[in-house]
Amino acid sequence: MTVILSHLIYGFGIVFTPINILYAFIGCLVGTLIGVLPGIGPAGGMALLIPLTYGKEPSSAIILLAGIYYGAMYGGSTTSILLNVPGEAASVVTCLDGYQMARKGLAGPALAISAIGSFIAGTIGIILLMLIGPPMAQAALKFGPAETFALMVFGLSMVTSLSGRSLRKGLVSMTLGLMLATVGVDLPTGLIRFTFGIPKLMEGFDIIVVAIGLFAVSEILISTEELQVGEYVREKVSQIWLSMKDFTESIGAIIRGTFLGFFIGVLPGAAHVTASFLSYALEKKFSKNPERFGHGEIRGVAAPESANNSAACGALIPLLTLGLPASAVTAVLYGALLMVGVRPSPFLFQKHPDVVWGLIASMYIGNLMLLILNLPLIRIWVKILSTPPRWLFPIVLAISFIGVFSVNNSPLDLILATILGILGYFMRKFDYPLVPVILGLVLGDLMEQALRQTLMISGGSLEIFLRSPIAITLFILAGVVMVAPKIIYRGKEKLETES
Amino acid sequence: MPSATIGDPLGHKAFPIVLGGLMILLGLAIFIKPEKDLESSPLKKTFVSVLILAGLLGGYGYSIQSLGYPLGTFLFLFITSRLIGERSWIFGLLLSAVLSLGIFSLFTKILDIPLPLGIIQRVIG
Repeated sequence: MTVILSHLIYGFGIVFTPINILYAFIGCLVGTLIGVLPGIGPAGGMALLIPLTYGKEPSSAIILLAGIYYGAMYGGSTTSILLNVPGEAASVVTCLDGYQMARKGLAGPALAISAIGSFIAGTIGIILLMLIGPPMAQAALKFGPAETFALMVFGLSMVTSLSGRSLRKGLVSMTLGLMLATVGVDLPTGLIRFTFGIPKLMEGFDIIVVAIGLFAVSEILISTEELQVGEYVREKVSQIWLSMKDFTESIGAIIRGTFLGFFIGVLPGAAHVTASFLSYALEKKFSKNPERFGHGEIRGVAAPESANNSAACGALIPLLTLGLPASAVTAVLYGALLMVGVRPSPFLFQKHPDVVWGLIASMYIGNLMLLILNLPLIRIWVKILSTPPRWLFPIVLAISFIGVFSVNNSPLDLILATILGILGYFMRKFDYPLVPVILGLVLGDLMEQALRQTLMISGGSLEIFLRSPIAITLFILAGVVMVAPKIIYRGKEKLETES
Repeated sequence: MPSATIGDPLGHKAFPIVLGGLMILLGLAIFIKPEKDLESSPLKKTFVSVLILAGLLGGYGYSIQSLGYPLGTFLFLFITSRLIGERSWIFGLLLSAVLSLGIFSLFTKILDIPLPLGIIQRVIG
């Protein structure tokens, strides 16, 4: 404990030079901007800005990039809440209740709880990273492809069973997402699947294109329709700051989201997306009034936003303790470390303590800076909503299109987003939930690869799943969550008819 | 699809086939026993306006390379805002021009995200 403390003080010594504080600040500011604008995403933003780090001290370079990373995680929720435009895959769930809160005039509290939740989650995440980082990394190594596959099956069934009113329709959405994920080049074999001769589709469907199409475009289509018949309601901003009641209601969700996010974040794959989706689903599942979720429930914003940020801390563990990048963002950090002459390895802590402890200390500072930076911004963001809809809608579409366009610089993506918008419009009209599509798309590829790797290891025998207690437990849980809501629902109905 | 399954017992076909099967089963399940207590909101007559907006959006996306972002956005903002309620011609034109140029320069100049200039490029040189 004292060793960690002395290291931390050493780390703060590195960060507390005016130049490094400046870098942390610039990183946070640029990161917030990248997060707010849809499309670029944390990994892309960091990669774009790597040139900024040329010729700097290794610790300064990493502090700058890490600042961009958490800045983007913070900012990602802003457009989801205000405009139903998800900035990245992990903030798709934030749209669900965040946007409903904004329509009820509660955009301020929604933004505030997401900033505060992110701050708390970030802080706890860093502490966990310092205290149990190395043992966690060892434990994560036990997570082979079989366990990863089981975890994804669990995540999908949990999210699907809880989104939407009909399980069957939820499953249709999920399958659709998984099917979209199979489009493009099949990685292990290099074969091309389902592109229908369109070369552009070889890269597959980009998550941002699908998320913006399904959520943002369909939202504007529906809102325009409502506007035409005079049914469009957006209540006046009634409250800018978070009330004490909002905070006490959501603190439990924040803490639960933090721990869940951290542990899932350590695992490889699309961890922070899984973390935010799962924490939302769990929060809904164990809530006393799950019917409030999806209609502006503050815990539905607090939980995924916290999970998302602590997962970002968890994701650093494999990189710092084993030298393995387990996600897109940490892969960019890995590259950046190499460029400044630091080779990530299991000995990073011993060989380059200035980089590691500087990074950890800068995370504390960055978190605090982001909170201070973001809370005053809320006032400005909320003002955006007073734009009359006849201008707000086209502007949202024009900015969303930049987000879509910036992914590949391809007009085809814009047309794809429009088509997906129409699809999303119909899915909503007919009560098909949109969230399972996104999660299916994010996890589909990873899931298929994990399954195939598992069977490659076992030589084609499914027995390998039975030999892993973790996988069995997750499969059983997946089955339980699929069936349980129905049984509980029937039980309730029975009770009601009897009484 | 040809098959190449060296050392890959599952291959690249199984996963999509399972998904297709699942989708067919779910489709049948919903077809045979439609949701009873769930009412799908009926399509309103205003669906035409949704189609028009979607058409505009598709056209905007399609022409972004040739027209360029500033001009395409200007036209899109102007037409769409008029369709959904802006009355003043002058205000509409002015605001569309300011917004399209503003968004364009924010992204290209400050954020260094390249956006197509299209026709304007050719006119300028």
